[in-house]
Amino acid sequence: MDAQTRRDRFEEIAPSLIEPLRRFLARRTDPATADDVFSETLLVCWRRLDELPDEPLPWAYGVARNCLANVQRGVRRQERLAAKIAVVDPPPQAAAGPGAGEGAGDGDLAEALAALRPEEAELLRLWAWEQLSPTEIAAVLEITPNAAGIRLHRAREKLREQLRKIEQPAGHEESRGRRKP
Amino acid sequence: MSDDSDDWDADPELRDRLRSADPASSLHPADPAWTARLLEDTMSSPTDTPTEHEVLTESRETGTRRRGPLTWVVAAAAVLLIAGVGIFGLFNHDTQHDAVPAAGGSTTVTRLQAPAPAAYQARCMVPTAPMIAQQEVAFAGTVESISGDVVTLRPTHFYHGSPTDRVQVQAPQAADLQALIQAVHFKQGERYLVSATGGEVTICGFSAPWSQELAGVYAQAFPARH
Repeated sequence: MDAQTRRDRFEEIAPSLIEPLRRFLARRTDPATADDVFSETLLVCWRRLDELPDEPLPWAYGVARNCLANVQRGVRRQERLAAKIAVVDPPPQAAAGPGAGEGAGDGDLAEALAALRPEEAELLRLWAWEQLSPTEIAAVLEITPNAAGIRLHRAREKLREQLRKIEQPAGHEESRGRRKP
Repeated sequence: MSDDSDDWDADPELRDRLRSADPASSLHPADPAWTARLLEDTMSSPTDTPTEHEVLTESRETGTRRRGPLTWVVAAAAVLLIAGVGIFGLFNHDTQHDAVPAAGGSTTVTRLQAPAPAAYQARCMVPTAPMIAQQEVAFAGTVESISGDVVTLRPTHFYHGSPTDRVQVQAPQAADLQALIQAVHFKQGERYLVSATGGEVTICGFSAPWSQELAGVYAQAFPARH
C-alpha cells in the first residue's frame, strides 16, 4: 500500500471509529486518560491499517482495550510506588478503580456489576453499551464466538442473580423471583 | 448469525437497564476541528515505528477493501472539514489583516492568525519531525512586542516558508490572543520556535519557547533549509 492509498483508506475508515471509540473509553476510564488512549488507539489503527478487518470497529475496540490496559498497568505501578511513599492510606473512594462510578443513578445495578468478575462485567458492557453481538465480542476479546456466547449467557445470569440478591433481601426470595420455564 | 442476534436480544429488559446506566450517554460528540487535527497528526506519524504502548505483534497482510456508502460520506465530510479549516485560515489571512499596521516602510511581514479557541482545549501528541515537516511556515524568532491583539516576532531563522523581517500573529479577539499567549507562553524579548499551517499558528507544542530539543526536531523536519 503506497502512502497515498494508505491515507485514503484511513480517512475512509477512521471517521466511523471516532465516536464509538470515544464512548468506549469514556465508559471505562477518566476523561484525561480516555483522550490519551484515544489518540494512542488511532495511532495503532493507523500503523496496523493493513490488518484492519472488514468490520473494523470490534477490532478497534480490541486495540483500545489493550492500550487502556497498558496505561492502567503503568498507573498501578505508579500507585504501588506511591503507596510505598505515602504516610497515610488514601481514602477508599480515591483508591477505587476505573468504572467505579458506573451505573450512576442505579445503585443496585452498580453494586451487582461490581460483584461480578471483571471479565464478566466487561462482557456485559460490550453487549449492552457497545451493543455487540457475541461474534463481535469475540473479535474484541480475541476469543471464539462460541466462547463469547456462552460466557455472555453466564454473565447475564449472574447479573440477574446478583440483582435479585440485592433487591430482595433474604426471606423474600421466592416472592418476585424470575420464573423458569 | 441468527444465533448471534438471538443472543443479543436474549434479555432486552436487562440490556435496557444496563444501557440506562451508560456513563457515555452524556458524552458530547468530539469537536470536529479537534478530530480533524488528531486524524492529521495520526497520519503524519511514521508507520514503521511501534508505538510506546503497542503490545500486539505486527504482521503485514494486505487488507481487503470494503467501501460502504456511509464511510464515503463520512470521509468526504472529514476531508471537507480539513479543507474548510485551511480555507478559513487563508481567507482570514487575506481579509482581516489589512488593519494590522506594517512595521516599517520596506519591512516585510508574515501575518498569521491565532487558532480558534476550541484548539486550546485539544490534547496533543508530542511533535515529531514528520509532523512539523507538514507545516507551511516554521521559524525561530524573538517576541518584539505584544500589543492589543497582535504578537510581533522578529525571526532569526526561517526553517520553512518565505523569510520576512517580521512575523505578526493576529488574534480575532483579545481573549483569543490571551489563550495563544498562554498556550505558547509568549513573553516579550524571549525566543521561540513557531510554526503555522493554513495561515494559522499551530499550538499543541509545535510552537513553543526555544529549546535545543525542539530546535533539533525543527531542523530534522526541514533539513534542506537548515
